[in-house]
Amino acid sequence: MADHDEAAAAAAPPADWHALPDRARLPSMLTPMLPFALPGMVGGFVLAGVFGLWFAPPVLALLGAGVGAWMGLKHYRSTFWRLDEDGLAVRRGRLWQRETRVPATRVQHLDLKRGPLQRQRHLATLVVHTAGTRHSAVTVPHLDADDAERLRDLLARQIDADDDA
Amino acid sequence: MPMTTPDPAAPLPEATPDATVAAERRLHPMSWLFVLVQQLKQFVLPLVVLLVFGRGDRNELWPLIGVAVLVVLSLWQYFTYRYGVAGDRLVIRSGLFERSLRVIPFARIHNVALQQSALHRVFGVAEVRLESAGGSKPEAQMRVLKLDDALALEALVRHRGAAAAIANEPEAETLLALGFGDVVRLGLVSNRGLVVVAAAFAAIVQISQRAVVNTFQSVGKWLFGFAGEHHFGLAQYAVSALAMLLFAVLVLRGFSILLALLQYHGFRLSEIGRRLTVERGLLARWRTSASRRRIQAWTLREGTLHRLLKRRSLEVDTAVAEEQQQQRALRELAPIATPAACDALIERLLPRAGWSNLAWQALPASNWWRLVLPTIPVVIAVTIAATWRVGAWGLLVLAWLPWAAFVAHRRAQRMAYAANAEVIAVREGWWMRHWRLAELDKLQALQLTRSPLDRRCGTATLHLDTAGAGALSPQLSVRFLPVDEAQALYASLSRTLARRPLRW
Repeated sequence: MADHDEAAAAAAPPADWHALPDRARLPSMLTPMLPFALPGMVGGFVLAGVFGLWFAPPVLALLGAGVGAWMGLKHYRSTFWRLDEDGLAVRRGRLWQRETRVPATRVQHLDLKRGPLQRQRHLATLVVHTAGTRHSAVTVPHLDADDAERLRDLLARQIDADDDA
Repeated sequence: MPMTTPDPAAPLPEATPDATVAAERRLHPMSWLFVLVQQLKQFVLPLVVLLVFGRGDRNELWPLIGVAVLVVLSLWQYFTYRYGVAGDRLVIRSGLFERSLRVIPFARIHNVALQQSALHRVFGVAEVRLESAGGSKPEAQMRVLKLDDALALEALVRHRGAAAAIANEPEAETLLALGFGDVVRLGLVSNRGLVVVAAAFAAIVQISQRAVVNTFQSVGKWLFGFAGEHHFGLAQYAVSALAMLLFAVLVLRGFSILLALLQYHGFRLSEIGRRLTVERGLLARWRTSASRRRIQAWTLREGTLHRLLKRRSLEVDTAVAEEQQQQRALRELAPIATPAACDALIERLLPRAGWSNLAWQALPASNWWRLVLPTIPVVIAVTIAATWRVGAWGLLVLAWLPWAAFVAHRRAQRMAYAANAEVIAVREGWWMRHWRLAELDKLQALQLTRSPLDRRCGTATLHLDTAGAGALSPQLSVRFLPVDEAQALYASLSRTLARRPLRW
């Protein structure tokens, strides 16, 4: 039952999939650090209370931050996007592969988000909203800002073309 | 008493060609009573607490005064509420100090819901809610209107404000009407009263912990006779527990039947032109209507009890968000109906789908073991807990595994999907079966996922997203699809969706 595309999965995806820019690596690593450091710190406090290990909170918080950074790096390396005549496709993950497609006719509205670190590095996060329930917001994080604006304009132009009011 | 449409000769709000509103109407004179009731419902718990604990203490009356002020304010708001029709739009004015003017085009109203509790029926009034797509609150909520006015408003929405068209409208055609026997079956099948009974049980246990044990013993005594020095062993406890369980199940079913009768008596699904209307209720009446094309996805269910009674149930998703207690959206087309009736309903409402002739493609049954996988850790955990408590008898819990494997095998054999030019459908389940169906025009985003297990087995899962899918609806996703088929289906669906505009 094992198939042979495990080797293919480890190799790079086809050339028309765009990867995230290099300067997005640091923001991708920084973003999950806090959500992972906090539970680590809480766990550290629990251990400190139960076993009296005073150094547990900072150590576990640092460990949590490290795990968060590692996960951010993995996500950064395995995120690809593509815009073709059918719409926008986003591929994430290597162990757990997910490819999400928003057809051009299904875009409801678009958001461009820019945090302070992203602004400094000329990056932006594109959020494509659909009318669905599970995939009502498809996110492409830490895109090059020009790419993000180009995508937004192209997808928005598609909405104007199909006027169903 | 069914709600009937008023005759065309009854006076309707004027529809003028220009933008001004000719005749503004107000709410019913008794609306203050219903607003008061609604406010009291919100504040009933603090009021009860105040009454019980605040007796004799003058300072405790201040919160009560605050409540009274709120009540007066809401009454005031409703005295300043006016609505009227301007061409193809509904215009609503409300407020005195903070005036608000809301204009709702009739074409944007997805759902019209009329609600009558017993008190409403005494006065011949109804509460009206107008919904558009999305949003958590209704666009317009009128508490209360005279029943005829409410039905006239519903007719106006149906005809986009053109009053003249109402006189020529075709007769309402009944698609499904539930008789008394069907409603009783509905009560038997569903677990309507479960929450209430469980809450009552929890309350009893809280009040008196001994009450449960005493009940066991009294039931046991009644079953085995007054045997004096009889020591209550495990067997007696087990039998009395079983008897109590049976009694509880009977009480639950009885309660469920009662609730079903109260909520679904006189259920009628009818079609007027393009709109579907559902009416139901015994003491309180509900009437909801929506346009046929607002239906986003369909769910056909057949549980074990359904199969025993040879019935199924058909539900739909519309794009209206629904709150917990309020049933605003059109959700159940056929709460309980024979399989043939459900199929006929789908055929009639989706004529181009070819529901009866769908080419179901079975998914490979060799993936059955993946359906058992999630239950294994749970069974092991329960076994460990049971052995720790009860000793070697706890290992009996492991006997669940062969049964789970058998069920998984049967489920895997039934899993299938069907896709044609109009719809895509998925069927799953063996014990509790369901079919999930959606038109291609209503699909939103697509997602193809492969978990590590998928990669080992050469399969993938295709998730299809639709609007308004509730948390309780099964997902429209095709699992365990071989990779090549999955990618081909994914590619063809993306191409189709990109070429066909979204028909809201």
